[in-house]
Amino acid sequence: MTGWLDAHLVSMVDGVAYGLLLFTLAVGLSLVFGMMDVLNLAHGTLYLAGAYTAYALSDGSWLGLLVALLVGLLVGLAGGGLLAAAVAPLQGRGHLDQAALTLGIALIAAEVMAMFFGAEVLPTAPPGSLARSVSVLDHSYPLYRLVFIAVAGVLAVLVYLAFERSSVGALVRATVADRDMVRAMGVDTRKVLFGVFAFGAVLATVGGVLGAPIIAPGPGIDDRVLVLSLVVIVIGGLGSVRGALLGALLIGQVQTLGVALTPAFAPFLLFGAMLLVLVLRPQGLSSLGRA
Amino acid sequence: MSTDAGLRSRGRRLPLRTAVLVAVVTVLLLLVPWVFGAFTVMTFTRALVFAVLAMSVNLLTGVAGMPTLGQAAYFGVGAYTGALVGIHWSELGVVQLALATLAGVVAAVLTGPLAIRGRGVAFLMITLAIGEIGYTAAGRLDSVTGGTDGMSGIPPVVVTPGGSGLVNEGLIYYYVLVVAAVSYAAVAVLLRSPFGLTLRGLRDNESRLRSVGYRTDSYALAAYVYAGGLAALAGSLWASSQRFVAPGDLGFEISALALLAVIVGGVGSMWGACLGALLVVFTRDYLGQQLSGHAPLLLGILFVLTVYLLPQGVAGGRAQWRRLFPKDHGGDPGTVTPT
Amino acid sequence: MTTRRTTYLLALTAASTLALGACGGGTLGGGGDEGGEEADGTIKIGLLVPQSGVYKSLGDDMRAGFEVYLEEHDNTLGGLEVEVVLADEGETAESGKAAADKLVKQDQVTVVTGVVSSAVMNGVVDLFETSKIPLVGSNASPTTLTDAEFIWRTSYVNDEPGEALGAYVAENVDGGVYFLAADYQAGKDEVSGFKKSFEPAGGETVDEVYTPFPATTNFQPFLANAKASGAEALFSFYAGGAAVEFVKQYDQFGLKGEIAHYSAGFLTEGGVLDGQGASAEGTFTAMNYNYDLDNELNASFVEAYVAKTDRNPTTYAMASYDAAKVLDLAIEAAGEADPEAINTAIGEISEIESPRGTWTWSEIGTPVQTWYLREVKEVDGTLTNVIIDELGELGG
Repeated sequence: MTGWLDAHLVSMVDGVAYGLLLFTLAVGLSLVFGMMDVLNLAHGTLYLAGAYTAYALSDGSWLGLLVALLVGLLVGLAGGGLLAAAVAPLQGRGHLDQAALTLGIALIAAEVMAMFFGAEVLPTAPPGSLARSVSVLDHSYPLYRLVFIAVAGVLAVLVYLAFERSSVGALVRATVADRDMVRAMGVDTRKVLFGVFAFGAVLATVGGVLGAPIIAPGPGIDDRVLVLSLVVIVIGGLGSVRGALLGALLIGQVQTLGVALTPAFAPFLLFGAMLLVLVLRPQGLSSLGRA
Repeated sequence: MSTDAGLRSRGRRLPLRTAVLVAVVTVLLLLVPWVFGAFTVMTFTRALVFAVLAMSVNLLTGVAGMPTLGQAAYFGVGAYTGALVGIHWSELGVVQLALATLAGVVAAVLTGPLAIRGRGVAFLMITLAIGEIGYTAAGRLDSVTGGTDGMSGIPPVVVTPGGSGLVNEGLIYYYVLVVAAVSYAAVAVLLRSPFGLTLRGLRDNESRLRSVGYRTDSYALAAYVYAGGLAALAGSLWASSQRFVAPGDLGFEISALALLAVIVGGVGSMWGACLGALLVVFTRDYLGQQLSGHAPLLLGILFVLTVYLLPQGVAGGRAQWRRLFPKDHGGDPGTVTPT
Repeated sequence: MTTRRTTYLLALTAASTLALGACGGGTLGGGGDEGGEEADGTIKIGLLVPQSGVYKSLGDDMRAGFEVYLEEHDNTLGGLEVEVVLADEGETAESGKAAADKLVKQDQVTVVTGVVSSAVMNGVVDLFETSKIPLVGSNASPTTLTDAEFIWRTSYVNDEPGEALGAYVAENVDGGVYFLAADYQAGKDEVSGFKKSFEPAGGETVDEVYTPFPATTNFQPFLANAKASGAEALFSFYAGGAAVEFVKQYDQFGLKGEIAHYSAGFLTEGGVLDGQGASAEGTFTAMNYNYDLDNELNASFVEAYVAKTDRNPTTYAMASYDAAKVLDLAIEAAGEADPEAINTAIGEISEIESPRGTWTWSEIGTPVQTWYLREVKEVDGTLTNVIIDELGELGG
């Protein structure tokens, strides 16, 4: 047992890092879907925009990272606002139109980014003092990923508390559960919706800035993180922060520990896990407000 | 959304106009190989194959209200089956089509019970998983499929026993056109049947259907199997027209484009789905090649414009076209066939 | 809209469609020409390379290599003025095949060169064999392609980089070798090529694992298994973005310095080396070319290429340069822009002087050439591939 643990401990730690990265992406996607019924297929584009921001601005110094984070925040606000405005006229037209629109936007944005950054994958260095590996129980492990676990972990706890414990969070959850009722109570739900869209987008771009040294920006990365986030939110249950966290951590382990245990079946694990969860529980592991 | 008004109302209200329309469209389609050069005809062929796949997606998405991202899996089953039959057993088109469809039906019967466990986004994601697993499996089973480098050496398809294989692009186009037209008719017949009406009920109000005693899951499964067979039929056409099958043909991109073609065409309308397929294929393969390397950009623009300007797709009806062209001056073929 | 107007519009559409087509001529009945014939003294050449998607940078290199040759020869090949028709191969077999169809059927080119992806190469075999138009491929080269009459490749065969390295690793590594490769045909070909020379030389295999491609961005679980396996060396096959991630993580997860890393040369070829940075140092790769090869033709090629693109040429650029050279010789010998005559002439070329050294055609239309062992080293402050040994000749 200790031998097994020793062999796979690093994979499990890495699964947590990976899972938390997925959480920062998926939570926005999940809430936007839960509240606005919008399936935002341009969500991966936001991650990519954040990661390219990190590539362009961080120069291995702490200041560079800080600047990149600030710019990433602005990019997220702008992107979220634009997307919210773009889908606003489509209220009540069903998921398919929104999916087509946001996918169209994602395709256009991908071309624009490819024009600026080219077709290569652009590895992004973390701040110099974090760009090395340390020993975790005799296994070499990148220090940046450990720090990322701490930072993203704090972020996840804050997001969770904000949504589950604060009054703003209660409003958001209420909007997920019954938008009309909240509107009838005199709350301007459009503001809530805009706010959540922008918040989700900022989380995705900030996730991109912080995640660039782990999943480097390049053409096609937007699709890949989008599919991962979609898997996470349907596994977790749409519209739920708790579900997104649960789903993200589960997929993180499937993609690291699962792969390490059964490398021959690696390509089937992600979708196999999703299929299993959905067939057993079509509404996801933890669903709020919607059956 | 009165999305399937097209098929129903045409038959009832305007038989003459329908007849004229069908005749003119048929003549136009028949003229294609006499008018255009080889590459354009090949693009038309691809578009027709894609139209059959789009109809299959539309049957689930538009008619039964179950949006799918997994039809490429059955398309691929049909393509590989058609190709294998062609290489090892019979070059006869009818045999390939029949066996490919059968294989698609079997695949859908086996996987359908999983898929119909969910509705809406859950169904969408389960079908996505089926598609992705199919794609990966196609690349892995190299002894059967030739692996990721694809399967080549498919002999030209033969139409009548003892005849020679179709090599000319124009003849291949006619072969695909005839099969596509038959599939269109088969779908039209299905939609007019009581079964078709029940499927629409599934979309509009499943719980009411269930409460009056329908076993809705059986209907959903039946629709899934029908759509799977249709997608596999399209796959066999693909193998015959391209004479090459690769795992990419089962990929997410194909499923997504088929779904988007349905949305562009107008969800629920079968001729809309066909027109959407034509638009998507020509945008990607024809315009995309003219503007080298920018096919995704063009597709993106197409999707955004359609969603804003044609809320109900190309087949969306007269009102939205009126709004777009207030003075009613249109030369686009799309404008002349509203419902 | 009235019935009459509908009919009127349809008639109009029909008429305009016919008018449109009348300029081109139909596939049935008509000549089937859309592109028209070349003027005297010119030749149309299709350049089929990715201009979008994940392989774009390879496509850029191949295009630049071809253009360097044309610029050196006043835009003529074999005395004929060249008109290059670009087509985008894209990412998938489907997009590549459509592009090849366009070149052959619509643009009516006399010859085609390029092709990055093996799947596209397999998909277009029928097209070129039945149209009797030569394809001088400059990268993709599946092992199964052995009996094509009109398809040539100036690059290599997919399993040769592995085969070149196998025996060397068996002799120089004291212990087992672990295999990690991208899970597609080229990865499998590379590993089986490696084993072809590795096993007879007494090499010992520890395990053989294929990673999902292109989905894998995190190699940690695979690397952890490799590290725990007790292997002395690793043989890998990755290219493009996956190569960057793989090499960086190989370093981050502590395999660098413990397990020697051998790979097919694509791992560190071209722009990816910049992305890998110091993590790539000490990686051994097998390749048929390196920009530092010491011969006169290579010196002038490198100079012209650097002047044009501001980067050192890769094997992709070199193979494309050679494709232009092959066409130059063949068109000269054929004397006219006739596809079949040019194809015959290509086969009759006895030897090709190339930046990689002189090579000849093998029986299956690929080069018989020398392979080199390269190591990534720091030279004057920049990381670069340096030739450290010869691995012998393959392809004969």
